[in-house]
Amino acid sequence: MELSTGMEPGASAQKEEKKKKEEEMATKQEEQQTQAGRHQEVGHKSLLQSDALYQYILETSVYPGEHEAMKELREITANHPWNIMTTSADEGQFLSMLLKLMNAKNTMEIGVYTGYSLLATALALPDDGKILAMDINRENYELGLPVIQKAGVAHKIDFREGPALPLLDQLIEDKSNHGTYDFIFVDADKDNYLNYHKRLIDLVKVGGVIGYDNTLWNGSVVAPPDAPMRKYVRYYRDFVLELNKALAADPRIEICQLPVGDGITLCRRVY
Amino acid sequence: MATKQEEQQTQAARHQEVGHKSLLQSDALYQYILETSVYPGEHEAMKELREITAKHPWSISSRISFRSETYTFIEDMAFFFAGRGKLIWFFDYSRNIMTTSADEGQFLSMLLKLMNAKNTMEIGVYTGYSLLATALALPDDGKILAMDINRENYQLGLPVIQKAGVAHKIDFREGPALPLLDQLIEDKSNHGTYDFIFVDADKDNYINYHKRLIDLVKVGGVIGYDNTLWNGSVVAPPDAPLRKYVRYYRDFVLELNKAMAADPRIEICQLPVGDGITLCRRVY
Repeated sequence: MELSTGMEPGASAQKEEKKKKEEEMATKQEEQQTQAGRHQEVGHKSLLQSDALYQYILETSVYPGEHEAMKELREITANHPWNIMTTSADEGQFLSMLLKLMNAKNTMEIGVYTGYSLLATALALPDDGKILAMDINRENYELGLPVIQKAGVAHKIDFREGPALPLLDQLIEDKSNHGTYDFIFVDADKDNYLNYHKRLIDLVKVGGVIGYDNTLWNGSVVAPPDAPMRKYVRYYRDFVLELNKALAADPRIEICQLPVGDGITLCRRVY
Repeated sequence: MATKQEEQQTQAARHQEVGHKSLLQSDALYQYILETSVYPGEHEAMKELREITAKHPWSISSRISFRSETYTFIEDMAFFFAGRGKLIWFFDYSRNIMTTSADEGQFLSMLLKLMNAKNTMEIGVYTGYSLLATALALPDDGKILAMDINRENYQLGLPVIQKAGVAHKIDFREGPALPLLDQLIEDKSNHGTYDFIFVDADKDNYINYHKRLIDLVKVGGVIGYDNTLWNGSVVAPPDAPLRKYVRYYRDFVLELNKAMAADPRIEICQLPVGDGITLCRRVY
C-alpha cells in the first residue's frame, strides 16, 4: 500500500482500516449471496436424470399455466435465505391437480414456510374450502400472506403458530374431528413424521389422503455409507428411511411414492 | 439346453433392466422406490403379469442381445423398410420395453381411486399391465373400453386378468383407434361420458386422438398421455446418439407437449413417473 505524499501516517492508517472493513463487509455479503445462491441451486436440484430435463418440465408444462400469484410468491421466496425449504413449482402444480381431482374441501397443512403449497392449495379448493395450517414460525408465513390475500383466497386459511403435535393431540381428543379431513399435507420436521402419522391416520377421512413431502430426501436414501453429505441431510436421512418403511408396512393405507419435487408419498386411508 | 435357458433368462433380465430404465437421477433411486413403496403392496396379479411379460418368448431379442450392434442394426433396418405404420408390430414382438412400469401401475391405481372413476378408456393395451391396474382399481361395476391393434398380446395377459376376477369390466376392441373414436364422436350421447382415458400408443397420433378425446372425456375428467418425456430425449442435444425410432417420434412428443400446455380446455400436470405421464384435466 502506498503512502500518499502530504498525508499524515495516522490518517493513512485509518484509511487503510476503513478500506479493510469495507472489503470485509463486501466479502461477507458476497458469501451470503453465494450461500443463498447455493441453497437455491441445491434446493431446486431435482431427482431427475438431469437439470435440463427438470427445466424442460417446468418451462413446457408448469410455467405456461401458472397462476400469477404462484409466480409472485416464488419470486419473493427465491430471495429468502432459507429458500431451500420452499415447495417447487412442479409440486405446486401437482398438488393443485390432485386436490381438484379429489374434490377436496377440508384440508390441513403442517409446515407452511412462506406459503407456496398453501397458496397452491387455497387456489385449488372451492370458495368454501378450508385449510388448517400450522408452522412454528409466523414470520415466514407473513412474508407470503400479502400475495395470498391479493389472490383472494386468504379467507380459506386458519393459521396456527406453534409446534404441530400439541394441536394434533387436541384435535384427536375430540372424536368428532376424526375422519374429517379430505387431504393433509406434511412438509415439516422429518424426525416427527411418524409421530404426526399416528394422529393424522385418524384425522384424515377413509378414502382421504395424507401427503408426506421430502420422502426421497434429495436422492440420499440410496447414497452409499461413505458418500459426502451435508450434516443435516445425513441426520434426517435415517428418519426418512424409517418413515418410508413404516408407511409401506401400514395396513391402514395404500401408498404411492412419486419423484415429484423432493419425493412425495401419498397415503390413501383404507380403513 | 441348460446354457440356452440361462442365456434366455439373462436376456429377459437385461430387457427388463433396459425397459425399466427410469427418468430418475440413478437406477438405484428408481429401484429404491420400487422395492420400498411399490412391490410390498403390489397385487399378486400385477406381479404375475409383470413376470409373464418379461419372459415373453416371442421376441427376436431373446436370441440377440438388446444392447448389441446387431440388434440396433435390425431395428434400424426394420424402421427403414417396414415403414412408419408397421413399426409398431415389429416392436410388439421385439421387447417388453413397451410395458407399463410397476410404479406407473401403482400411480394409475391411486389416481383412479381418488377420482372415483367408473367409466374409462384405454388406447394401447399391449399385454394389459395398465389395463389390469385399472380393472383392479375400478369398482365392480366399472367399465373399460380398451383398444389395441394387436389382440394376441392382450390375450397373453388375459388369463391373469381373468384369474383376478376383473375381466368382466373390460370391453376389448382390436384395431386402430381413430376409426372407433370417430364412431364414438359421431354419437353425441357419448360426449363427456368418460371419467378417465389413458393413451399409451403410437405417439405420432396422440394429437389426433386428443382432438376426439377432449369431447369424450367428461368435464373434470382426465386424459393421461404416456411417454411424454420420451426417455429424457426431449432435452437431448441435436448431435446426441439416438435410436432412430426415438429420434423419429421425439418430434411428435415435443409437439404434443407444446400443444397440451397451450390447450385452453385443459389444465395439465406432467409427472416423471414411468416414461413421463401428462395428466390433462378437462375444464370445459
